[in-house]
Amino acid sequence: MLLVLSAEHRAHLGCLPPAGGAAVGELGRLALEQLRRGAAPRACESAARKLNISVDIIQHGVEGLVYLLTESSKLMISEVDFQDSINVLGFSDELNKSLLQLYLDNRKEIRSILGELAPRLPSYHSLEWRLDVQLASRSLRQQIKPAVTMKLHLNQNEDQTAQVLQTDPATLLHLIQQLEQALGEMKMNHCRRIVRNMK
Amino acid sequence: QRFRFCGDLDCPDWVLAEISTLAKISSVKLKLICAQVLRDLLGEPIEYDKILKLTSDAKLESGDVKATIAVLGFILSSAAKHNVDSESLSSELQQLGLPKAEHASGLCRSYEEKQSPLQDRLRACSLRLSQLGSVRWRVDYTLSSSELQEVNEPVVHLTFNVRDRECEKMTAVPVTLSANKFWVLLA
Repeated sequence: MLLVLSAEHRAHLGCLPPAGGAAVGELGRLALEQLRRGAAPRACESAARKLNISVDIIQHGVEGLVYLLTESSKLMISEVDFQDSINVLGFSDELNKSLLQLYLDNRKEIRSILGELAPRLPSYHSLEWRLDVQLASRSLRQQIKPAVTMKLHLNQNEDQTAQVLQTDPATLLHLIQQLEQALGEMKMNHCRRIVRNMK
Repeated sequence: QRFRFCGDLDCPDWVLAEISTLAKISSVKLKLICAQVLRDLLGEPIEYDKILKLTSDAKLESGDVKATIAVLGFILSSAAKHNVDSESLSSELQQLGLPKAEHASGLCRSYEEKQSPLQDRLRACSLRLSQLGSVRWRVDYTLSSSELQEVNEPVVHLTFNVRDRECEKMTAVPVTLSANKFWVLLA
């Protein structure tokens, strides 16, 4: 599968050949830092001063590299395809080789970063529970009514929410039975066949 | 095999695995580490550097130090949760393989000293939805209003200060009642 680079993308990456080999290493490092931690304008400025190129060109170059690396890692393209895709840019062989090396070295890490960007549902964090017995209320004295109160703590993208639920023991047992049936489905033939094929 | 300090259930595998790590630390140091873990369970800040210094002799890696703290925390809080006395705790720990003479007895002595404060603390941490902080009241006497020239009615103002368990914020709930409604509330 070949990557199609837009004209704008090609123009951004066009700043790489005149900069030279060392600069490419520096820009590659900046691109990876941007992927890991987000944009760092000060790092780009200091690189621009060191390499004697304007900040804008450095910024575009870094962004171009970031896009190239993320698209290649996302599609998990092979070495041959990567080389063919960047051949279009008309860079020197040495530059092509260093770009390929940059891609292969960091492919796994970039894929793990991209994996965390998918939207997530609230996930389980912890559960607090309490067993109470209601003995009397304003309307009725001398009762015995057990109740289980639960506080479900959920995590969603670093946001913590809590949901308070209350149920009587019979409903709780029914709930547990339904969940155990759901887990039991994993042991059925149908699920086993699919899991085996996925591995 | 069932253990009382695990709530009459099997002991978790990771606890069994870490008992041997506990045995590597000398009993005196183990008692001091116990004191630190008890401080953490009672809500005071834990002094991690002291624990690192105490475990440096036994040449434990950082993963093992954290495992030690976790195992001690589990044993002590679980024993307090199920109201296990220190004798039974000592015999159960020996069944798990903790050497009796120094380690188990030292651990159980630390547990015994702090058993009541620990249980009080666990009781306070139990699930609680909201808590009434305080009530303030005021009784006014309405003389007249724009609707009626002579009113002559008492009015009760109440403010309930409610503390929300999570955000530790006090919210004020103001209520105004006429005299009759107030009698209904009190009845």
